[in-house]
Amino acid sequence: YVYSRPPPWSDTLPTIFVITPTYTRPVQKAELTRLANTFLHVQNLHWVVVEDSPRRTNLVSNLLEKAGLNFTHLNVETPKSLKLGLSWIPSHTPRGTLQRNLGLHWLRDSFSNTAPPEGVVYFADDDNTYSLELFEEMRYTRRVSVWPVAFVGGLRYESPKVSPSGKVVGWKTVFDPNRPFAIDMAGFAISIKLILEKPQASFKLEGVKGGYQETSLLKDLVTMDGLEPKAANCTKVLVWHTRTERPTLVNEGKRGFTDPRVEV
Amino acid sequence: NEELWVQSVLEMPKRRDILAIVLIVLPWTLLITVWHQSTIAPLLAVHKDDGGDSRRDLAAGLDSKEYCLSDRDIVEVVRTEYVYTRPPPWSDTLPTIHVITPTYSRPVQKAELTRLANTLLHVPNLHWILVEDSQRRTALVTRLLRDTGLNYTHLNVETPRNYKLRGDMRDPRIPRGTMQRNLALRWLRETFNKNNSQPGIVYFADDDNTYSLELFEEMRSTRKVSVWPVAFVGGLRYEAPKVNAAGKVYGWKTVFDPHRPFAIDMAGFAVNLRLILQRSQAYFKLRGVKGGYQESSLLRELVTLNDLEPKAANCTKILVWHTRTEKPVLVNEGKKGFTDPNVEI
Repeated sequence: YVYSRPPPWSDTLPTIFVITPTYTRPVQKAELTRLANTFLHVQNLHWVVVEDSPRRTNLVSNLLEKAGLNFTHLNVETPKSLKLGLSWIPSHTPRGTLQRNLGLHWLRDSFSNTAPPEGVVYFADDDNTYSLELFEEMRYTRRVSVWPVAFVGGLRYESPKVSPSGKVVGWKTVFDPNRPFAIDMAGFAISIKLILEKPQASFKLEGVKGGYQETSLLKDLVTMDGLEPKAANCTKVLVWHTRTERPTLVNEGKRGFTDPRVEV
Repeated sequence: NEELWVQSVLEMPKRRDILAIVLIVLPWTLLITVWHQSTIAPLLAVHKDDGGDSRRDLAAGLDSKEYCLSDRDIVEVVRTEYVYTRPPPWSDTLPTIHVITPTYSRPVQKAELTRLANTLLHVPNLHWILVEDSQRRTALVTRLLRDTGLNYTHLNVETPRNYKLRGDMRDPRIPRGTMQRNLALRWLRETFNKNNSQPGIVYFADDDNTYSLELFEEMRSTRKVSVWPVAFVGGLRYEAPKVNAAGKVYGWKTVFDPHRPFAIDMAGFAVNLRLILQRSQAYFKLRGVKGGYQESSLLRELVTLNDLEPKAANCTKILVWHTRTEKPVLVNEGKKGFTDPNVEI
């Protein structure tokens, strides 16, 4: 027996396409490393990494090659005008939007609507924390499935409200619970079939109020009562919206102390 | 009529026979067809029986070797299956890596331990020693450890609170994690006999750092104490040992106090278990330790600069990052709490 990482591909298991926008900053390699270490346990996972950059960087290319995962490496640069984001105006382009849309575009280019593969799309930011159980929960999504997410909305977790009959009827949030989809990016997955059926559905680029990004996509795909609650009817937390501190680099000084050729 | 009756009687057993034959043969046909088209992609190798080497060859490489076989040669057919288990199967030849992780309760604890476990689950022959800073082993950590499937030991010791300071504050004079790491060292010394211990390596891994899988393979060959660079410590992109052309450590590439005996972060070294067992009085100093000197307080009792083994391509590669996780904003819980406290995060 040879220990295989990732697990051998299966012809019968639906594929999980994970779309991760990423951008260059000191902790990028660390984030992608520990994320890859998690994904390497998940069967039939295809990682779509989309860099916010004019070119695909060596750092990410090399990491993806070495990891051994099934992957697609894309890039699209957020224009400076959008990046600067006049944050005193309540609407702006949230980070990662162009990259996630490119990921969706690649899926629609790669697969035909007439013979869609069995699978789901999941948006996984590179600094969150994912349990292995989460991926098995989302694998058999028929249209759009949802579950709780920790550390969002100023709460221990936000979660869909599920009726005794197992239907989503609202949102347990403090921040704007009346949003059509008061849910974090990490709290839902969409079946490939649905993505391919509705080729116009994308994240809205501009004029999106804070907290409405997810809605801008989901409203074109599904209605609330069509949602499938997972994680024991949305009572278990299987994903955490963790954020990584920016490292202190004061001692690098003006000219830099460490060797810049050593990749961090 | 009689003739017809006799004829039909003769025919019936025939039909029954045919049915019986079909019912017996069909499953076997299906089985053989499916076995042939198995998606496991087996490697069938036919080779001479030349002792134990053949099996190892197959596991390491993926080639099927073909030899010329005479009629009288013994043929052994071995099939390699690619399996996935979590963690990987235990090996009799690899030294065990004992990973000592102090941990404490706070909102992000379960997230940190989850993603750390996801990394450790890839490392063969790993033994996780998780030491809680608490009065009792908590249900959260107990459940998490059990559910991972990892080889583990679950300990706890509470850092004394200094009640003279505001309320329930941990005594700030004792660096965090010290008592927990020391408890693990004591456990190792009580559990393993220095005369017949199985080969092992001891590594201190905090629950919020990031570890590459390559790091664990680098430390496995530690003879006394091995060292390597660590990212995001000392106010730098990374700190690293200085290694000369002869492959010996002769100093420390740091801005903060490079003249410390061991100017290295907790995550930047590993110690051979034998050494831990031999120097049974070597512990992290509890009190009176200057900032940045905790690692020295242990290492000076174990090894000299000269004996350090540089890893990670003579300390030129980064295989571990001292990441820190932000404290989550929980303002909207308010005074009485909004979310269900029975839901574990």
